[in-house]
Amino acid sequence: MLAQLREVTKRYVKTEGVRDLTLDIDEGQVLGVLGLNGSGKTTMLKLMAGLLFPTKGEITVLGGPPRANRAKLVYLGETDALYAWMTPRDGERFMAGLYQDFQPERYHELLDFLKVPRRKTKAMSRGERGRLRLAMALSRDVKLYLLDEPLAGIDLISRERILKSLVREWRTGATIVLSTHEVAEAEGLFERVVFLKEGRVALDTKAEALREEGKSVVSTFREVLG
Amino acid sequence: MKGFATLLWLEYRRSRVWAAALLGSLLFWFWGLNQVTVTDVGERAGIRVAIVGIAALVGVIVLCFMIGRIRGETRRGQYQILLLTPPSGYLHILARFLFALGVAIVYYVIIGGLLWWVALQAGIHPDAGSVLQLLLAGPFYCIGAVLVPFLVWTLLLMVFSSAFRLSGPGWIPGIVMVAGTPFLLRWIGDGILSVSHSLPTWRMYAGLTALAERFSPEELEITVNGVPVAQEPLWIMLALSVVMLIIAGRIWQEVEG
Repeated sequence: MLAQLREVTKRYVKTEGVRDLTLDIDEGQVLGVLGLNGSGKTTMLKLMAGLLFPTKGEITVLGGPPRANRAKLVYLGETDALYAWMTPRDGERFMAGLYQDFQPERYHELLDFLKVPRRKTKAMSRGERGRLRLAMALSRDVKLYLLDEPLAGIDLISRERILKSLVREWRTGATIVLSTHEVAEAEGLFERVVFLKEGRVALDTKAEALREEGKSVVSTFREVLG
Repeated sequence: MKGFATLLWLEYRRSRVWAAALLGSLLFWFWGLNQVTVTDVGERAGIRVAIVGIAALVGVIVLCFMIGRIRGETRRGQYQILLLTPPSGYLHILARFLFALGVAIVYYVIIGGLLWWVALQAGIHPDAGSVLQLLLAGPFYCIGAVLVPFLVWTLLLMVFSSAFRLSGPGWIPGIVMVAGTPFLLRWIGDGILSVSHSLPTWRMYAGLTALAERFSPEELEITVNGVPVAQEPLWIMLALSVVMLIIAGRIWQEVEG
């Protein structure tokens, strides 16, 4: 088991991000975390990354507490948070210096594949910055990738490139947990989908099982969360 | 070690404009000192010392701004990226502090040099063992006893306010922390005064000879056998700084992003 969440509740000052969330995540899955705004997707991913601590319940990621294992996982947040002065070369210096599992060759391949321009991020479009962030994240050789809305606010061409790169970089044994609003575009990626509603799991199913029932992830999204 | 070197590099990249501006301002201060054309030697020296004093104060303010930009990073989401990096919070804090300290040392040693030049121009001949001894003694004592605690306090304040996102009830400890600073400083100051000179007094320079002929119609030589300073303030402030650095690192370790 790669990650376990046991009756996890995260309470903020006035609201609850997730409530009694229980989930097991195996190795080698591409897991889609889907839900409307405020359904708890970001909270769940942040809890798994160790950025948040649960108010109640227990989380085990890669055999230990998430914060202690932060060096062994990738978390790509939804915030467009690269330094304005950073170039792809600075990104390589940053990643190679801080992460032992960083693969420079893969990074260069991804920069080319994602067509990331070699200039400062302040001179890049949002889509270009998103692609650079993804290249930095996917260039690490880890077992767990937590990607929070990597497609949000990004143009169609960039979205397609990002999705192609996810397919290209997914390796056996690696698990990708991907939250997105672009359900239709990402549908083909998912092996398993978890629908969150008001901080709880509304449905946890295999994408293949949905297809056997003649349903798509999009139609199920509308059915469960609509 | 590689991680720490990368954090120092990151600090350099983030702060190099501030550092360059601060060090570049030394040219401005030197130009300013040369613009003082008052004929009376004593008055000229007084104005020049005041300019050097302003330069020293500006240095403290700029360095505090440089080291305390964590709030902006929290808003932009960069803090979140840093929280997830493998180096511990203590190393993040230490890298920020050491970079600012490095800039401070360069800046204040040159400020010390300017003060030495002002003294020479006024006919005061610092009788140090060497120029290096003179430059090192004054600036380093001031950096250790005054600037280092200020920088670390600013760092702690910013880490604290970033960590707990001062909003709603969180403002209460924030306001207490800021408003309590002058009282804390006074309490620390009183404490230091009460124990000062318990340890042997330091003589900062080998001696200081002031040839006062320019100040008086009669030639008069005043010799000061070293500048006596208490060593306790330095050790107490450095110890407090270490404690504050550890607290800031601990907050970084525990904070949510």
